[in-house]
Amino acid sequence: MHEMSIAEGLIDHVLRTAREAGAVRVEEVVVECGALRGVVPEALQAAFDALAEGTEAQGAAVAVTETPITARCRACNAEFAPTTENFVCPACGRADVEILSGNHILLTSVVCVTESETEGENA
Amino acid sequence: MKINVVQNVLDASDALAVANRKRLDAAGVLALNLMSAPGSGKTTLLQKTIPALAPQHRSAVLVGDLQTTRDAERLGQTGAQVTQINTGRGCHLSPAQVEQGLDGLDLGGVDFVFIENVGNMVCPAAFDLGEHLRVILLSTPEGDDKVAKYPTLFQGAAIVLLTKTDLIDVLGYNLDRVREDLAQLNTRAPLLQLSARTGEGLEAWYQWLRERRAEKA
Repeated sequence: MHEMSIAEGLIDHVLRTAREAGAVRVEEVVVECGALRGVVPEALQAAFDALAEGTEAQGAAVAVTETPITARCRACNAEFAPTTENFVCPACGRADVEILSGNHILLTSVVCVTESETEGENA
Repeated sequence: MKINVVQNVLDASDALAVANRKRLDAAGVLALNLMSAPGSGKTTLLQKTIPALAPQHRSAVLVGDLQTTRDAERLGQTGAQVTQINTGRGCHLSPAQVEQGLDGLDLGGVDFVFIENVGNMVCPAAFDLGEHLRVILLSTPEGDDKVAKYPTLFQGAAIVLLTKTDLIDVLGYNLDRVREDLAQLNTRAPLLQLSARTGEGLEAWYQWLRERRAEKA
C-alpha cells in the first residue's frame, strides 16, 4: 500500500492547484504513473479518498494512466522499452539497463468547480 | 474548469532522497538499502557482517519495522550505532524517515550505513531513500519463484543474496529457476549464495562490500 505515500504528495499538489484557481470543489484529478512505480489505481483512489476527506477534493475521482518504461542498455547503448517482467536488451541479450523513464508520478490535470461556476449553477 | 499542469507528485520525496545522498556523500559513507520479504535474514546477516567488517570498517544501521525495537536490540550488540525507525502502519521506509534517522547517527568515521528496510517485496522498491546501492535478499524457504513475481525489486538490485542455502536440499530448491528469472531482469547484479548457519558465501559478500567501499573512496 505504498499508494498512501503517493497520495500524500498528490493531495498537496491537487489542493494547491485548486486553491490557486479559486476552486471550491475538485471533481477529477488525472495522474500519469510510470510502470515501475507499481501503482494500483484502486489503492491510489482509496488512499486519496482518506486524505481528501473534509477538503475541496473530497469525492474527487483519481484517473490513472500508466506510462511505459524506457531504458538504455549499459552494455551496447541501445534504447528500448522493457516491460516490468522483461528487461532483456533486444540488441545484445543482456539485462543491464539504465532507466530513462518509468519512475515518475505526474499530476497532469485537475478538473474543478470555481465559485463563479457554482453561481452559474444556482442561477 | 480543467487545469492542465505537469507536477511531479513525489518532488518532495525525491528531493529528500537527493539530499540524503548528498549528506552521505559529504560524510564519505557508502549507504546500502537492504530489501526483502520479512524473515529472509536481513538482521541476522547484519549481525554477522558488521563484526566481520569491523577491523577495517565502521558501520551504522537504520532499521525500519512497523513496531518493536527488537532488531535494534539485536544489532546494538554488534557495537554499531543503530537507530530504529518505527513506521507504524507504513509499509516501507521513506526518505523523510531516513533523514530523521541520519540525524540520530554520528557519521564521523563511519564507512557503511546499512538501511534495513521494512520487510516487504513491493512497496520499498518504489522509493529512493538516498542510498547508493540496493541489496536484495531472497531466502530459500520463500520459494524459487519469487524473482519473477516481484520483478521491480530485483531489477534495481546491485547484488542479490540467496540466503539460508543450507536448506536447498531439504526444500528441493530450484536454483536454475532463480538464475533464469534473474537473467530476464538483471544480469548486472551478482547472485551470491549465503548461509549464516554454515558460513557459506559470507566471505564473498564481505569482499563485495569491501570492493564497493574501495570504489567509493
